[in-house]
This record gives sequence, structure tokens and C-alpha cells, in this order.
Amino acid sequence: MPVDSFKYLPGAIAGYYKNLPVQKEEPVPWTPLAKPLNECRFALVTTAGIHVKDSEPPFDADREKREPMWGDPTFRRIPRDVRQEQIGASHLHINNRDLLADINIQLPVQRFLELESEGVIGSLAPTSYSFMGYQMNNAEWRQQYGPEVAGLMKDEAVDCALLTPA
Amino acid sequence: MPVLAQIFEKAGFSTVVVTNMPYWCEKMGTPRTVGTEFTFGHILGMPNHRDMQMTVINAALTLLKEAQEPGAVRDLDIEWPQPFDEAKRDWQPLEPSPIIAMMLEQRRAAAREAHGAQ
Repeated sequence: MPVDSFKYLPGAIAGYYKNLPVQKEEPVPWTPLAKPLNECRFALVTTAGIHVKDSEPPFDADREKREPMWGDPTFRRIPRDVRQEQIGASHLHINNRDLLADINIQLPVQRFLELESEGVIGSLAPTSYSFMGYQMNNAEWRQQYGPEVAGLMKDEAVDCALLTPA
Repeated sequence: MPVLAQIFEKAGFSTVVVTNMPYWCEKMGTPRTVGTEFTFGHILGMPNHRDMQMTVINAALTLLKEAQEPGAVRDLDIEWPQPFDEAKRDWQPLEPSPIIAMMLEQRRAAAREAHGAQ
């Protein structure tokens, strides 16, 4: 059964997405998997808008409240040994309750540590990344923050990334 | 998120996106996409349901291993374990997001104006 991408969206928002003009990236970029999964290092990247409390500031929800067309384009680092109680969440477009109970529903750090110990993947990188998914204009992702995270992943010898939009 | 997948793939990483909006990924062009018909903010499953989360993650790893060309999409046939109405209400923020609040206010203002003009 194909997934209904609009099943849980309110009608007005579904209509907005369906009618939004989009420029498809052609050709779609492609990096073939270079080695077996059990030799690959993974980074996790979510747009759930989470951060590590007392380590980095939350996303700027106050500015979004003042400027509803603006979404914070920056990113936060999530270390592989993060504990659930360290997680803060500031996404204004979802109910953050379940994320604050279990980040693995969006950033599966514990699941990937299990896969690492089982030898299914090579390793989980020291750092994973969190963005804020609400972006009316993704120019800053394209020009600055996306390439910056790519550079950080290179520095940590990452091969693959699991991306989980919220 | 499709934009980030494209940036990372161009930078030499093999990526896989897990999303409840595969329509959007196909429209924008993502290298590898796994679709889950789950609620927003729960893209890998229910909280503290390890097996459900691992099923989705394993599907993403399988696609990463097996996909031979860009634009590969695999939809998962897993039912979200909440009744529809409850699920549709449950993922949404307790207060409307700023953009929705602004649109609701604009709609109310337009209605007031139309009412006043009558």
C-alpha cells in the first residue's frame, strides 16, 4: 500500500503542500554505498528541533513567534552518549511530549548503538545533528548550515546519514 | 529535509530519508526514501516501542544497501496503532504554531470585515 502523505494533516495545510510549486533537483544526487553496512559509520540527522540542554541553546522559538514566516535555520549537535533527560525540544509545529519521552522516535541514537554492538553497522559517529524543520526559505540551509554539517560529518569520517524529518 | 539529503549526497555521503511525506521527497528528488504512514514527530514509531522503531530502521538500512539508482522509494505497510481521530489530534501542538495563529487571525479579520460591509 502506498503511504498517504497527507493522512494526518489538516485539510488546509495538505492543500498548501499539494499546490506548492517545487523545482525538482535533476539529476537527483547519488553517492553509491561504498562498503558493507558493517563497515559504515553513520550520522543521524533530524529536523525535530531538539537540542541538548546546558550544552547548546534551544532553537529561537521566540523570534518565530514574533516573525511567523521565519524558522531558525541553525543546527544543534547531539552526542552519541546523550541521555534522554538532557534533551530539550522547541519545535512549535508538533507536540513535543513524545520526543521528550523517547528521542528514538526521531533521532534513534539508542537503536544505532544497539546496531553497532550487534555488528550490523560499523559505528555511530560521535555526533548527530538536529535542525528545526519549519523553514519557509531554505537558502541558509543550502548556503551555510547544510554544507557546515557536511564538513563536520567529513571530519568524523561519516559514510552514511539517516535523515528523519519531523 | 530533501534539501539536506541532496546537499549531503553531493558531499559524498550515502543518505536515506525516512518520512511520512514521501510525496514531498519524490517531488523534490531525494536519493533514497522510506515512507511510513506515521504521525508527525513520530517518524520511526511510537515512543518506547523498540521493535517498531527497529523495523523501520532496518527497512532504511536495507534500502541503503539495495538501491541501485537515485529516487528509490520504499513504502512500509505498518499501521499506526492509534485510532485515526486521536492520532490526528495527538501529534499537533497544544497551541497553534505562529504561522497558523497568524492565518487564523487573518481569516477572522477578513470575516469581520465582510460582516461589517454587509
